[in-house]
Amino acid sequence: MKLNNMKGRFRLGLLLSLLLLTGCWSSKEIEDLGLIVGTSLDLETDSSSREVLEEQEANNSNKELITITNQFVTSETTGSGAKEGKKEQKAYKNVSETGEAVLPTLRSMIEKNDKRAFAEHSKVIVIGENFASTFNLTQTMDFFLREIEMRPSGLLLIAKNRASNILESIEPTTIPAFQLVEMMKGHKRTTKILPPMTLAKLQGKLNSRASFLLQSVTSENGEMKFAGAAVIEGKTKKLRGFLTGKELEGITWITGEGKGGLVPSYYEGTDQPIIYEILSMKSKIIPHVDGDNISFNVKIESEGRIAEHWVLSEKTFDNKFLKKAERATEKEVERLVKNVLEKIQKEYQTDVSGFGTRLRIEYPKVWKKLKKDWDQTFSEVPIQCEVKITIKDYGTSGE
Amino acid sequence: MMINSQDKITASQAVVVLVNYILATGILTLPRTSVEKVKSPDVWISVFLGGIIAIIAAVIIVKLSQKYPDKTFYQYSQDIVGKWAGWFLSLLIIVYFITISAFEVRIMAEVTSIFLLEGTPTWAIILPFLWIGLYLISSGINAIARLFEIIFPITFVLFLLVALMSMGIFEIDNLRPVLGLGVMPVLKGVKTATLAFLGPEIMLLLVALMKQSEKTKAVKVVLVGLTIPLIFYVITVVMVIGALSIDGVVTRTWPTLELMRSFEIPGLIFERFESFLLVIWIMQIFATFTITYFAAALGLAQLFKKNIQPFIFGLLPIIYIISMTPKNINDLFKFGDMIGNAALYLFGVFPVILLFISKLKGRKT
Repeated sequence: MKLNNMKGRFRLGLLLSLLLLTGCWSSKEIEDLGLIVGTSLDLETDSSSREVLEEQEANNSNKELITITNQFVTSETTGSGAKEGKKEQKAYKNVSETGEAVLPTLRSMIEKNDKRAFAEHSKVIVIGENFASTFNLTQTMDFFLREIEMRPSGLLLIAKNRASNILESIEPTTIPAFQLVEMMKGHKRTTKILPPMTLAKLQGKLNSRASFLLQSVTSENGEMKFAGAAVIEGKTKKLRGFLTGKELEGITWITGEGKGGLVPSYYEGTDQPIIYEILSMKSKIIPHVDGDNISFNVKIESEGRIAEHWVLSEKTFDNKFLKKAERATEKEVERLVKNVLEKIQKEYQTDVSGFGTRLRIEYPKVWKKLKKDWDQTFSEVPIQCEVKITIKDYGTSGE
Repeated sequence: MMINSQDKITASQAVVVLVNYILATGILTLPRTSVEKVKSPDVWISVFLGGIIAIIAAVIIVKLSQKYPDKTFYQYSQDIVGKWAGWFLSLLIIVYFITISAFEVRIMAEVTSIFLLEGTPTWAIILPFLWIGLYLISSGINAIARLFEIIFPITFVLFLLVALMSMGIFEIDNLRPVLGLGVMPVLKGVKTATLAFLGPEIMLLLVALMKQSEKTKAVKVVLVGLTIPLIFYVITVVMVIGALSIDGVVTRTWPTLELMRSFEIPGLIFERFESFLLVIWIMQIFATFTITYFAAALGLAQLFKKNIQPFIFGLLPIIYIISMTPKNINDLFKFGDMIGNAALYLFGVFPVILLFISKLKGRKT
């Protein structure tokens, strides 16, 4: 009796399983997909496109328009690279569209593109300078942080001038979006590139009032190049300005987040360069609170080597020279730090180098009072800086 | 139906059942719900305290059940407070089990339709889930426990694996300062954290279903069975807040999944790991769903002193209908809060009173 029951159940189970074997419910063929690998956002200043859009949609024209460019990799673009002899085709396909909000603009790309857009493999979002200084990032990033297809591991960068230029390349075989992602990995070997800002990290920054930095990128003769950092103001979430590469180095020294890089300095008296290579970098921001007075001490320590020097009169076998080189490097680092502090405190009045975070951690109660107008307070806070450089070795040459 | 004398589980199986019951929806949303209350990075302390409170409540439940080692709550509550009051209490608890089981099913459907099966209708996700659950529980507690024994090690290994992989985006500064604003914020989060440990109430019936010789180990069962989820939760909260910061966590609907989607590790066979988490999570939801479904069916069977099978089949449409009641995801979260609050009274307050009454009675006789 029991066995029969088991058999019956088994047969029923087999029968029911047929229902599940009918294939994928909502499958998408990969040949029909257009994989979005990068996206750029620009403010549309060209009035002709506005007119075109008005004719089509009869829209109210007072709003700023945005232009979105998606970089697609499709089965055709990737397939053509492998076939030899044929006319060389680009490895990517950029599609641009203009509109008022992000998603409607993206959707109207359907009218231009035969592939179904698929954003699961989107790696990077590049925002144009004008776009970032006009719109609040919280609003414009809303779609990208909400959409389930967009992965939070995607990167965010700011472009000088137009962002869509960044997604163009003169080399037909490279895909600019992938190139950007690979270039970001360089932050381990130079102090001029920020640690990557992913959408996941961005979420926290946007929801706090803190200012922050984004890597900025520029396009020179069809080739992209990282160029310092963009300062996003915490209160408005808009682009406040740019830091140059040198200034970004100063920031990296303050935060101590650099993993490697060089510091060129000059031998005292002459103009002969000494190149110091960073092997390790540590920094400590120590807040001091005395009643209403807040001040900071920045202690920077670094160990490294002399990677190159042009000083003819000295040898690295000589400890005296090493000491002199250490002093020269310390001075250079101090100069970098002071320079950037001057800029972010006086010109931009935004704390992008983690002073607020240290205050939050060490004096949480003071921070609670100050966090609302921290950027304002920060601009008047005295900051002392101490640098200690230790040269450990000098490679295979003692000259 | 009385419990089949053969259909008993060992103490270690009871631990596995308990762990699988506790780990469910909470792990995906706990970082957000607790940070919303605490508003400082000290959430992990709240989770710790919540776990300890849950352990205390669980020990009380076990002590109560151990007084009537051969009876489930549905049977012995009538001995303690009389037939009708006991009947009513049992019915409340049965309703609780039905709703929690419906809730789990719906959450599973929501997450699956967002992250895995976009475009698949909700009923198509829910129905196979329900049917398989029915198939499992119709074979009794032993079958359930054996399945859970398969699920548990997979969960354990995969969870630790994905949690460790997210180390790359972990920032210790997001978790500091510790107790910067004092202990008050931490205490505010304790209730939310405790609710993530819903599950020890299963001991109300599980003690009766344990093998005769192992019933004395029931206290150990809850200690181990709650410590494991406690560790899971603390790891989850620490990793999620460490990566996303408290400002980021509060804005995310499913923060733990967000964490797993926030990194990619090229070079391994897989670059993306959220599917791992979803796999173990769905298994955990299935575990919670089946055990509560079973508890409700068993309760009805014992209240009406009938065979369990018709109740198992009868409950299925009810669970389906309840699971489809919340109109949107906010309603669903509210529904979850409601269940949590109900549980607080049902299993925080009543067992203490019942234990007290039964002690008084014991002294009289």
